[in-house]
Amino acid sequence: MGNVISEMLFIGQGLLVTLELLFGGLGIGITFGVLFSILRYKGIASILIQRLISLLRGTPLILQLSIVYFSTPAFLGFKLSILSAGILTFGLNSSAYIAEILRSGIENLNKGQFEAAKALDIPTFYMWKDIVLPQVLKNILPAMQSEVIALLKETALISTIGGLDVMRSAQMVSAEKFTYFLPLCIAGAYYYSLVLLIETLGKNLERRGSYA
Amino acid sequence: MLRIHELSIRFGSTLVLDGVSLAVEKASIVGLAGASGGGKSTLLRCIQGLEVPTLGTVHSEGNVGFMFQDFQLFPHMTVLQNLIYAPKLKGSTSYLEKAQLLLSTLGIEDKSNAFPQTLSGGQKQRVALARALMMNPEILLCDEPTSGLDASSIFEVVSLLKSINDEGVTMLIASHDRYFLKTISNRIVDLNKGKIV
Repeated sequence: MGNVISEMLFIGQGLLVTLELLFGGLGIGITFGVLFSILRYKGIASILIQRLISLLRGTPLILQLSIVYFSTPAFLGFKLSILSAGILTFGLNSSAYIAEILRSGIENLNKGQFEAAKALDIPTFYMWKDIVLPQVLKNILPAMQSEVIALLKETALISTIGGLDVMRSAQMVSAEKFTYFLPLCIAGAYYYSLVLLIETLGKNLERRGSYA
Repeated sequence: MLRIHELSIRFGSTLVLDGVSLAVEKASIVGLAGASGGGKSTLLRCIQGLEVPTLGTVHSEGNVGFMFQDFQLFPHMTVLQNLIYAPKLKGSTSYLEKAQLLLSTLGIEDKSNAFPQTLSGGQKQRVALARALMMNPEILLCDEPTSGLDASSIFEVVSLLKSINDEGVTMLIASHDRYFLKTISNRIVDLNKGKIV
């Protein structure tokens, strides 16, 4: 029993890296996702963004992570830390998916809402911030929830470049104790608990966002 | 005063408006009649600037307000928020008093914290009207203000619009309901296949 607890504690230390990757990735993903989708809607650099999204969605994430981590020294002359490489890669990859989710949300919003804002002389920035995005965000909440869960699970790829996340910590325990089942189940339990937390949060947001 | 000169607009290969000229005198109500697809909505949308005409000019003196056929209230805002959002951005200071006055004049002061989905068609109509009036328009464009309303609500819309017109607001009202237009307008203009007939 003491064994299980000490393994749980050790693997739990990886949560910090996993969560840093998740929140950092989400921060970059949402920022660029919103930017990409608005630019695309307005037809600014639309083809360039379309290609970039296609590329980010069309190549393996593990490949993108390897390129960012292993080949930046050759191009930029300095080495990114494992964590920054992870946050950057997961964030940019996620931004492609978030941009597509947002685009469908924006395209499904009644065009009359844009026109009503225009007829009331509402400046463009405020129209997006207060009229369009709040309605779009409410409509895309279920899809966004799936994206956050996918991102969380993808952060486990950081273990391939040596990041000390939940997955890698479990592998370390396995390597030391020559047993796989228990440490991997513990890692699984951590990931699944986080997913359940995200689902609960999502349900609460959906309830709060339903007007009337 | 609203002056439209030789306005034409083409969507693809269809000429939706074909050289429309129209003058609406200050503080009058002009009804726009005609079959659907005749260009009524498009004319209003050109005046508001929601469509860019292919040819011709629109000259309006003063603010133009627009009432959409399907209201287009903001569903994530309460009735009061719908009214005050735009004037607040414009830096108006008396927007709250004005909103409350309008809501009570229109008989929906008890709905100020309700969301649009919970309102009846007639109530939504009044909120849409109030929201347009918050911007102090000198000219009000109404697109099918009676669509989806029952007879008694139509009667209310007529008296509401007339009372607003009494305060000097010029109106251009598009409707397929000629009887409604007769009861409210000083003059009716027929728009058919993009031309005034």
